[in-house]
Amino acid sequence: MRHSPGILVLVLVIGFLEFAVDAGMIRRALLPPPSATAEVLWELLSTGEFLPPLLSTLKLVFAGFFLGSAIGVALGTAMGISPAMFRLFEPLVELIRPIPKSALVPPLMLFLGIDDAMKITSVTLVVTFPVLLNTLQGVRGVDRVMLDAARTHGWGLGHTLRHMILPAALPFILAGMRVSLGLAMVLAVLSEMLAGQGGLGFLILDMQRSFQLRQMYAWLVILAVLGLLLNSIFLLAERRALFWQRR
Amino acid sequence: MRPSSGLWLVLALMALWEVSARLHWVDSPNWPPLSTVVVALFHDIASGELPPLIGGTLWRMGAGLAAGSIAGVVVGLAFCLAPVTRLLLGPAVELLRPIPVPAIIPPLVLFLGLDDPMKITVVALTAFFPVLTNTMQGVAAVEAEAVQMGRTFGVGPLRRAAFIVLPATAPYALAGVRVALGLSLVVAVVAEMIAGEAGIGHYLVMMQFAGRAPEMYATIILLAVLGYALNRGFVAMERRAIHWWFALGRQADG
Repeated sequence: MRHSPGILVLVLVIGFLEFAVDAGMIRRALLPPPSATAEVLWELLSTGEFLPPLLSTLKLVFAGFFLGSAIGVALGTAMGISPAMFRLFEPLVELIRPIPKSALVPPLMLFLGIDDAMKITSVTLVVTFPVLLNTLQGVRGVDRVMLDAARTHGWGLGHTLRHMILPAALPFILAGMRVSLGLAMVLAVLSEMLAGQGGLGFLILDMQRSFQLRQMYAWLVILAVLGLLLNSIFLLAERRALFWQRR
Repeated sequence: MRPSSGLWLVLALMALWEVSARLHWVDSPNWPPLSTVVVALFHDIASGELPPLIGGTLWRMGAGLAAGSIAGVVVGLAFCLAPVTRLLLGPAVELLRPIPVPAIIPPLVLFLGLDDPMKITVVALTAFFPVLTNTMQGVAAVEAEAVQMGRTFGVGPLRRAAFIVLPATAPYALAGVRVALGLSLVVAVVAEMIAGEAGIGHYLVMMQFAGRAPEMYATIILLAVLGYALNRGFVAMERRAIHWWFALGRQADG
């Protein structure tokens, strides 16, 4: 086991925290003993109470991630293969790109309210740009000679896209999507916090404000595990999709 | 230069924004004309309302970015040069990495309060990870010959780390800091939106609650300009700091 010493360290840290809280070195008002948090966590897990908030956050992440990725890939590809499209959209993209998408949550709340529509829109916005820029870079990086060869063989645009351009750009697209996945989680949690309706982000903030700290830490653990899982699944999928790349 | 089709598109959209608000095509207090937003922006800057808020936000961002970047470089060097540290602390770092930043704000509020220490810590935690990743990539890319030559000349491990590995890693670490810079501004603003009563993020949320749409959009434009300017400034600084790297015609976008 490559990770075992590090996991041992983690176990020791948790054990020390338990001891430190018991011995009064850390105030219980700040950090309940890890065992108490674990109890609450077990209760949430065994009663299935954790599922609805988890699913509601997951829904935002997935919907925004797929919408944003689709827009990013489509627009990035169009800008990559057509100079006219590039000239048309490049200034607009450069104008919108530096806007911090988190700052767009307040105006989005004014127009779309505090429901899923607002949250999915904000996640979509933050996902789109890294995917778009990476797709553009990948599509533009396709070997000229290969494109000429495709033309020589009489490949149409659709065929060239599907069998040459998109596969060649895939490593870039996936790298952009990997960045965007993290950002999607951030925006989902943030918009849940600001809109205050439900989901993991809302619960973590709400539990802190009502001083239910064991609950807060338990939900935080659930969110962290979700983040870890989504990341690992994506890395796995990425490696499988790019099996032909040397690693 | 002839204005391109893209410039026309931007101008057309701006004109559409202005006209749709002026002619009440979009009849909503949340949709002020662009010109009103721009006027609000200049008014809030000239009246002295925005500058101190921007200053506060930039200070928190800068302090957090500096702390997180230094920690990222130090930990990155340690992980690579003394693998035992990576063995012991690697899993802890990997567990913290995927937690979405806004979620660590509530527990940090308990320990550090609502003010600068909490916000600087949040920014530092955000900046830490990209710098760490890039530093480690950089160390991996250091030419083995350079290290071996140092060893041949009897340079000790600490001096090798400081004078051979660190400079060779700098371009990668700086690329990481550039990524971290963009994230830092965003996260500083996010922290201000969620907790406390300071800075541009809090102002933004207040303007939303108060229904002062022009000020709200003005703040967003200001943030975009700030982010753009910071990035441009950093790139210029980077080119000067590691001109030898670019002179070699290399890129470290890793």
